[in-house]
Amino acid sequence: MQTFIQLSATALQIGAVYVLFSLGLTLIFGVMRIVNFVHGHIFSVAALVVAYLLPALAAGGLSAPAAYVLASFVGIAVALSLGALLYIFGFRHFQRDLVGSFILSIGLVLLLDGVLLHVFGGAVRGVPEIFPGRVSIGGAQVTIQRLFLCAVAVLMAVSLYLALGHSRLGKALRAVSYDHEAAMMVGIPYSRIAFLGFMIASLLAAIAGVLLAPVTIVSPVIGTDYLIKGFIAVIIGGLGSVPGAILGSIFVASIETFGSYYLDSSYATLAIFGLVIIVLLFWPKGVFGRG
Amino acid sequence: MIIKKQLKSGAAVLALAGLIAGAAQAEEVIRLGLSVPLSGAAAVWGKGAEFLCNTAAREIREGGGVSVGGETYNFECLSYDNKYNAAEGTKVAQALLNREGVKFIGGSLGTAPVQALQALAERQDVLVFTVAWGASIKGVKHPMTFTQMNTPGEILPLLIAYIAKEHPEAKSVAMLNPNDATGKETETLAGDIWAKNGVDVAASDFYERGTTEFQPIAARLASLKPAIIDLGATPPADAGAIFKELDVLGWKGVKVVEVGTGADGLKATGGDAAEGVYMGAGVTFEGNAATDHQKAINEQAKAQIGESLNAVQIGFYDSVYALKAAMEKAGSVDPKIVAEVLPQVTFKSFYGEEVGFYGKELYGRDQQMRLPIIVTKVIGGTLAEVARLKP
Repeated sequence: MQTFIQLSATALQIGAVYVLFSLGLTLIFGVMRIVNFVHGHIFSVAALVVAYLLPALAAGGLSAPAAYVLASFVGIAVALSLGALLYIFGFRHFQRDLVGSFILSIGLVLLLDGVLLHVFGGAVRGVPEIFPGRVSIGGAQVTIQRLFLCAVAVLMAVSLYLALGHSRLGKALRAVSYDHEAAMMVGIPYSRIAFLGFMIASLLAAIAGVLLAPVTIVSPVIGTDYLIKGFIAVIIGGLGSVPGAILGSIFVASIETFGSYYLDSSYATLAIFGLVIIVLLFWPKGVFGRG
Repeated sequence: MIIKKQLKSGAAVLALAGLIAGAAQAEEVIRLGLSVPLSGAAAVWGKGAEFLCNTAAREIREGGGVSVGGETYNFECLSYDNKYNAAEGTKVAQALLNREGVKFIGGSLGTAPVQALQALAERQDVLVFTVAWGASIKGVKHPMTFTQMNTPGEILPLLIAYIAKEHPEAKSVAMLNPNDATGKETETLAGDIWAKNGVDVAASDFYERGTTEFQPIAARLASLKPAIIDLGATPPADAGAIFKELDVLGWKGVKVVEVGTGADGLKATGGDAAEGVYMGAGVTFEGNAATDHQKAINEQAKAQIGESLNAVQIGFYDSVYALKAAMEKAGSVDPKIVAEVLPQVTFKSFYGEEVGFYGKELYGRDQQMRLPIIVTKVIGGTLAEVARLKP
């Protein structure tokens, strides 16, 4: 039983990260009908800025939590700036163009790979734990850092869910994702809504980046693994669906955790891809998909 | 009058051009091709390799160059990005050998891209140095290939015997390796050697390179309750992350990264959990064991690539000096003649010792640099050399 609790706790911790990642992907697809492979780089930039700034700020006399908060704000600001540049000079011109946006995002991935490597170097950066210590939950060992990450992920997911359902911006985003032409006919400024949707998605990726920096391997290629898992999660849940993204993320994390424990990490990865094929056979648009 | 002036100017220009051409002819340049990852996760290895090849070439130039048959030659390093995969490795091989006309490969990294390079190089009698670990690229079928760093075949027997002796109470091991050619070869060899040293292999798993969440892997390893966890060919950064998760789960035991190359990545992700980790391919530049030359070059490397040098990169320095020694002994820059002479020469390695080549018993020909097996351990947060074993 204790093993089951430990594995469930692990699955929820990993799933929380995938939720943040997949929410951004699904939001961008829902509003703009594009596939954004650069999402992982926005995440990477935020994590890299934290990894670079935090030691310098700490050396300057700031306490670890204060330095982390400051570095995180800078990281999120840099990541959002990158997101804005990508939208204005790239994706704005390829909205609702799956093939065009696909080619553009692959090109941008190659470009940003080189730029990040040049700017940050290829070496792995370590970020010390900001909230050290661990707690035992039902016999499962969980670090406080991971608990903090989970709490923020849940908060972000609930906020997004409520915002989409009840705020003016959320309603506009939903209207655009259902039928952008009808939305424009009733006065919704599509271009502005698309930009805001892209920036909210970038914000989610940036928050995931700064939250994960203290618990993972920070390098310029860190985003790739999360991007793949995030995409699998939204494909399973259904592109464009917020509940689908959450469900898909928890599902992928559970397969990864339980598969790695009872089989082997490599088999677990294979199992994830196998399950995607099975899901698409029965639900070609994903479990909750409309796209 | 004007025509006369123009003729004079023209003659002066021609004379100057002749002088420049003559000076250019005086310096013979041998280009050393490098097939290394310069982008992606392994880019830091490639950049360090390029840095050390250039460092050795510069030192040799400053020391008077390579003297062959009354001519003086200098080396120039030409690196291409193989992205650590076979497809790019093939493109790099074609670019280096067919387009650039390179006759010597100063170093190559990654078993898959090296196999692509080797296939083309052997047809063109190009001499290849490599740090690739795969045993399949060594042997009598590959007379133009030489290995410039210790591989699992050299490291594991001595390292595992040392650890087994240091920890006689540890009688079970759980192994984890990357799911690729390097990981598979390391795992097969290590499993046999642990067993020969009286240690029971409780489990041996593989994981995909690029994995970022190691909690499930750590949970499985910890559940086996092994006395030793051997992460084999796992890169240091991944190994650090795994040991950190194992620490959260409360596992205590002997930690080994057999072919771990450095402590920077290990400490960056593992933090305090990196304490006590044994490595077989690490190099330390702390303390009295390191020479001033090593320390100075390492400081330059840290400024340039952001990390301390490791054994993979050092191979790219040693190969340049090995080529110099072989060319001077052979009195030729013909790659085939140089390859025949190479097993007979010795040269001063970056490690500070005079080394040659061996490996006839294991691989059928002397193609492996006889480098020391340096056993390192993370003690008090820094990498310390705990033993230097002679192969």
